[in-house]
Amino acid sequence: MADRFDSPVDVATELPGMALPGLAQMAVAVGIAAFGLLLLNAHALADWAGALEPVPRTAPIVNAADYLAEQTAARGLDRPRAALKSFWDDVKAARWPHEALPQDQRKKL
Amino acid sequence: MLFPTLDFAIFFLPVLVLVWTVGQASNEWRKIILLLASWIFYGAWDWRFVSLLIGSAAINWSIAQAVHARAEAGGSVQPWLGIGVAANLGILAFFKYFGFFLEELAPILMAAGFGRDLPLLEIILPVGISFFTFQGMSYLIDIARGHTKPASFLDITLLMSFFPHLVAGPIVRASHLVPQFQAVPKLTRSMVAASLILIIWGLFKKAVVANELAIGLVDKAFFDPAAQTGLDLLAGAYGYAVQIYCDFSAYSDMAVGLAGLLGYRFPRNFDQPYRAASLQDFWRRWHISLSSWLRDYLYISLGGNRGGVWFVCRNLMITMLLGGFWHGAKWTFLIWGGLHGGVLAIERLWREWRPSSAAFLPRPLAILFIFHVVVAGWIFFRADTLAGALAYFAELAALRPGVALTTPLIAGLIGFGLAIHFTPPALLPALARRVAAWPAPLTGLVAGLAILIIDTMRGDGVAAFIYYQF
Repeated sequence: MADRFDSPVDVATELPGMALPGLAQMAVAVGIAAFGLLLLNAHALADWAGALEPVPRTAPIVNAADYLAEQTAARGLDRPRAALKSFWDDVKAARWPHEALPQDQRKKL
Repeated sequence: MLFPTLDFAIFFLPVLVLVWTVGQASNEWRKIILLLASWIFYGAWDWRFVSLLIGSAAINWSIAQAVHARAEAGGSVQPWLGIGVAANLGILAFFKYFGFFLEELAPILMAAGFGRDLPLLEIILPVGISFFTFQGMSYLIDIARGHTKPASFLDITLLMSFFPHLVAGPIVRASHLVPQFQAVPKLTRSMVAASLILIIWGLFKKAVVANELAIGLVDKAFFDPAAQTGLDLLAGAYGYAVQIYCDFSAYSDMAVGLAGLLGYRFPRNFDQPYRAASLQDFWRRWHISLSSWLRDYLYISLGGNRGGVWFVCRNLMITMLLGGFWHGAKWTFLIWGGLHGGVLAIERLWREWRPSSAAFLPRPLAILFIFHVVVAGWIFFRADTLAGALAYFAELAALRPGVALTTPLIAGLIGFGLAIHFTPPALLPALARRVAAWPAPLTGLVAGLAILIIDTMRGDGVAAFIYYQF
């Protein structure tokens, strides 16, 4: 059985000549990722907000999330996700060649 | 609150900001923020059990003080250590095993005329109880053995409550994490890169691979094996092997990655387990933090490798049976543990008495054989009942023709889940080094796109992690 303590995040010492230290690197990367997802995946936030308890204090959150989803959709920012979803749905729906045949021909296989 | 949900992201981002802003001014405040966040995280599941978490930490902290004081005074630490271990096991036994023993004893008690006095207790199992009680026990034993020094109440409470590992490990020991709590963490670019890769990779394994296999194949195959074809049942067994790996290793990867972004290092918990060429090798690669826990605190306490070969086999069997029982109070888990213990013992006997003329099995065949031993064990592990597991084997042996559940996507995911065990082990560090050299905006852009793709590929909702129930 294992007898070591190594962590998967122990990769290497800092490489020289990098512009940002680790903390700034994380802040910028996480910020940009979150901003990008807000724009390209706003409907996920709207779905999440829609599932909140319908009470007056959640109404502003729901309205803001719905507004963001509408605005991003109006600018076509939801299209990449829609195209991906359509492709993935096709992959999920794919069947083996013999399954696509009519029932009487399938029995012969 | 599950890691691969928007709920968790909305919880985690403010915690990350607070830890690296307010927490920068004072390390104590950083720990207090993390502790409060951990209680909110645990309380989101059931607020009542936050007090259990605090109580458990208080018991372990105070007993550790007593054990250390006795050791310093040159007295025996055994009485206090015994009380501490009994207290942890008592908590675990009450929540996890009370119902099992009551159910097993019910027929005897009924026959003896005590049936009407049986308590009607529906005990809710607190999430992650097996993990934090094991952490508490290892802390006490390490103090008694002199492997670690007593920590402050804040550090111990945070050790046991720290949300990245709280509900499904890895089991992080005080000797590893407390020294990290005592220093102001530093974040390097490579640590950020490795953490982001682990979080995204974990998201993919859980939300896409494990979820798709569970919903599309495994749940249906195990629900009613009699209604499935032989190929689907075979795929169901392989599919569960991939599902449980992708589910559990995903949790560990995300836990390591989230802790990494907070500046802390968690141990590796998985290392391509299905490329193991022996069962001993498998346990060096699967749930490493549990297997090393069982080795250090149970197997060695039983005598370990000392004594004759039969004594070692006995220790292996007891360790694996108790390891099985740790997963839950069910006969299927005991059989799973017994199967692993039995094969480990056979491997030990074979190493001891292998005739010199006997050839070694070629490595690919050994990997294939061990994989199928593990898959057979998973059938017991996954089945709800012993009868269900036996029915699965029987229906599998019936080899009914045809294929219905195993779509090309499902077959592809099984193949993918197995293929990732044979990638170069240094792939992650190599990739992390490369990503660490990228400009931060590019890292953010790629991370955002990867999460968008994963979110698109996953079905509606995410099932709880398999190891939440333990």
